[in-house]
Amino acid sequence: MARRIAIVEDEAAIRANYAEALARQGYDVAAYADRPEALAAFKSRLPDLAIIDIGLGDEPEGGFTLCSELRAMSMRLPIIFLTARDSDFDIVSGLRLGADDYLTKDVSLPHLLARVAALFRRVEALADSQPKEDRLERGPLTLDVMRLAAEWKGEPVALTLTEFWMVHTLARNAGHVKSRDQLMHDARLVDDGTITSHVKRIRRKFQVVDAGFDSIESVYGMGYRWKV
Amino acid sequence: MSLGLRVRLRTKLAILSLLLLALPWVGYQYVKEMESFLLEGQREALVATARAVATALHDRPLLMRVRPRAGGTFFGPSGGLLPGEELLEPALPAPFQPRPDPLAVAEVEAILRGLERTTSRIWVVNRDLRVLAQAGDLQVGQAVESTGWTAFWRPWLSRMVTPPGGEEEIVETLDAVVTGREIVDALTMGAPGSRVRRIIDGQTVVVSAAHPIWSGDQVLGAVVVEESTQSILSLRNRALERLFLLTLAGFALAAVLVFGFAQRLSSRIRRLSSDAENAIDNRGRITPNLSGSEAGDEVGDLSRSFTRLLERLSRHQNYLESMASRLSHELRTPIAVVRSSLENLRSEPLPEGAQTYMQRADAGLSRLSRILSRMSEATRLEQALAATETERFDLRLVVAECVNGYRMAYPQQRIESSLPGYPVWVRGAPDLAAQMLDKLVENAADFAVADTPLEINLAFDGAGAKLSVTNRGPLLPPELEGQLFESMVSARKRDGGGEPHLGLGLFVARIIADFHDAKLAANNLPSGDGVCFSVAFRLA
Repeated sequence: MARRIAIVEDEAAIRANYAEALARQGYDVAAYADRPEALAAFKSRLPDLAIIDIGLGDEPEGGFTLCSELRAMSMRLPIIFLTARDSDFDIVSGLRLGADDYLTKDVSLPHLLARVAALFRRVEALADSQPKEDRLERGPLTLDVMRLAAEWKGEPVALTLTEFWMVHTLARNAGHVKSRDQLMHDARLVDDGTITSHVKRIRRKFQVVDAGFDSIESVYGMGYRWKV
Repeated sequence: MSLGLRVRLRTKLAILSLLLLALPWVGYQYVKEMESFLLEGQREALVATARAVATALHDRPLLMRVRPRAGGTFFGPSGGLLPGEELLEPALPAPFQPRPDPLAVAEVEAILRGLERTTSRIWVVNRDLRVLAQAGDLQVGQAVESTGWTAFWRPWLSRMVTPPGGEEEIVETLDAVVTGREIVDALTMGAPGSRVRRIIDGQTVVVSAAHPIWSGDQVLGAVVVEESTQSILSLRNRALERLFLLTLAGFALAAVLVFGFAQRLSSRIRRLSSDAENAIDNRGRITPNLSGSEAGDEVGDLSRSFTRLLERLSRHQNYLESMASRLSHELRTPIAVVRSSLENLRSEPLPEGAQTYMQRADAGLSRLSRILSRMSEATRLEQALAATETERFDLRLVVAECVNGYRMAYPQQRIESSLPGYPVWVRGAPDLAAQMLDKLVENAADFAVADTPLEINLAFDGAGAKLSVTNRGPLLPPELEGQLFESMVSARKRDGGGEPHLGLGLFVARIIADFHDAKLAANNLPSGDGVCFSVAFRLA
């Protein structure tokens, strides 16, 4: 049975375009223009993945509200924020509310589809009791690409999707400097303005597990490097 | 503002307060008026006294009889000079000795004693100008005792102000025989009169009044009453003294008040003007720190309207500064519509030739996206800075790594650098410092003339460190002086190729410099063939 994706977006043209693109990929798409409509539909049937805009019609923060309502209904439902907003503050708020990913609206459709596919892969992998072997190990770091999960010295590190891909890119080419552009591309980010804050957040998350973590080096003027 | 004579507010008020000097003059005029009034009163009183004495002597020719003198008489007792008589020039007789009839004199003196006053002298003369009797003494020259500062003040005052009267003649001595006009008038015309005269010491003024003594219609003689004006004089002096003191005190008080008022007014205005100037810093940013005076006067109004004006300006400036990010935010949605439509279109079967247009549309769209992300970069950076913690880091290391990076990023550009031999510890965020250097180098590389080197220097400079990026190329346009580091200001004349230029790069550099508490400056090279951007850091 096709996976069901819900799109909650108040801009009709974007809603239709994304819905068609996703439908072309074989997904079953349900599109909603505002929060009450979406919420009513979710109550009768939960989708397999939700793509939510933050500003919804009259509610500038409607997406945030919907996200927490949705999260209350299901802990595991993948949620992607898709918005015109791009401030760090909004990204952090969105992720704190339990969203799995955060994309700005100028993301290209192929990127969006890739992110959606990655999230479904993770759901599959989590459901699968015997994970396939697609692991990357760099010293104490273990990345499970199928489940999009990271471990440091055996302890799980809760990375978001974006952060996971950034760590993946850096660790796969350990010792090589990765430019901001490369990180941007691999993590499917749209602009380099948020790279610095993402790296900072990644470091902090690893430091929670291991205070002495210093594997990501800044190479000023060039980019970042995973210390071998 | 006129560059000529610059008169401060305080000076103007001080000059205005000089008008207060009119007060003592008015007071002096008043005292003079009062003095002449008193003098007039004294004259009237003396005439009245003379009349009273004369009344007692009227119609008593025996009393006035005087033994004829050897030299004859001036005015015979029977040869009246009254109407029709020729008035002889009353040439003063040579010292003449009155030889009064002792009995008559005794009686006249008895009458006079009854009228005697301590301060006045009364004479009775007959038609021969013989003094028949005299009573009392003129009390003159008794100096008012001077103590303390009045000893200094009195002579000065007496020199400054004229004694009362003024037009009167000076008689040689006090005891000079009375032959004044009023006596002659009384003797010859039977008219009472009075006169003010000054005696030789110049200070004593004597008022004299004469009244004829009648017998029938004949003038037998005259009563002359004299009195010194000493009392008026001392009264006047006391009045002037008090006037002087009061004026001085009033003037001092007024001067202090006016000066204090002027001081306060001018300090308020000066504070307002310096506040207004400080509200706009040298980079043109408005920080309305005016609190707006609470005072209800015009200066308070001015201060409040300044505050309102600056607040409005500041809001407008904030609006302009946030314009870029708002614009980028607003444009994202329509761009997303275009992008997703194009991408959907790509999965449709397209006719031959449509691919070219698709590619062009894609290229245009990605350029638009880049512009948008640059537009919001400054705002995002400002937001990020608010949450960034500072750390102590080695700026030399950051610059060294950046220079290596630039050599790879700009392969066609020769980059020269000089770094100090020791670490340069500053406080801030290393990746932000690198981002700032990125912007400065990007800017320099854009303007550098081909085949000229780009210089990146870091050096200790006094108590701080100076990071500078120098390139050869066009000079800074003078009209952009001071606003180069503002949002959306660009000096670029040539049409940008691939990269959009919104004049935001240097704005970002400035925000980061501000974050590091560093001073960003742009100067033309002294040689006139290039530009140097420098950041002055404080050592940590």
